[in-house]
Amino acid sequence: MAMQIVMDQTGDTRHSFNPEDAQELAKAERRFNELTGVGFTAAVRTASGEVNKIRSFDPTAEETLFFPRLVGG
Amino acid sequence: MFIVRGALLARVRSRVNAVRQLYRQSLDLVRSAKERRGLQLMQEWLSPAQRRQFETFGYFDVVGCTSGRLYRIYHTPMPPNVYEISRVGRRKHAVCFAPVGPLVKGDVMLAQKIALETDEQGALSVANVIPGPSQI
Repeated sequence: MAMQIVMDQTGDTRHSFNPEDAQELAKAERRFNELTGVGFTAAVRTASGEVNKIRSFDPTAEETLFFPRLVGG
Repeated sequence: MFIVRGALLARVRSRVNAVRQLYRQSLDLVRSAKERRGLQLMQEWLSPAQRRQFETFGYFDVVGCTSGRLYRIYHTPMPPNVYEISRVGRRKHAVCFAPVGPLVKGDVMLAQKIALETDEQGALSVANVIPGPSQI
């Protein structure tokens, strides 16, 4: 199972999906597009632990993390 | 009559206080559960070196992806919590930015780390920089 983790006021909300299932994959891609469309940043971790920002849906990513847009403090 | 009324008021007041206390306690429980989740998520996404540093000192260092500058992200209750660090290990200035919305501290720190490691210029373009060392 793959996971999309969305930071929010509850800490985070997790959406798991089976990347082998076309319907679930399409739903995950829609969620990705919706979130990035409203300004969320998406990031994935590589096997070595390095973090990368992604701009398009990665169906092979085991975990994708979303955080809201940044503002000056 | 006044004595009965007074006693009744005292009882009502005491119950209201008890309910208030229960409410506060449950809020604290919810808040601390959220905070714990946020910190757990952050630690999962830290590199092993950052995790060790955070566990030991309560902060971790991040290298800016564009400039190679060193930033230190602190776990503090109030901003600013991100500082650029000089070559001799001193705080140069505070770099104030955070994800929008009411997020828990661990989430904020993780977003700051990812932003500096993957899009330093983007983070700096929205950040307010407070010159000079500040005390935490």
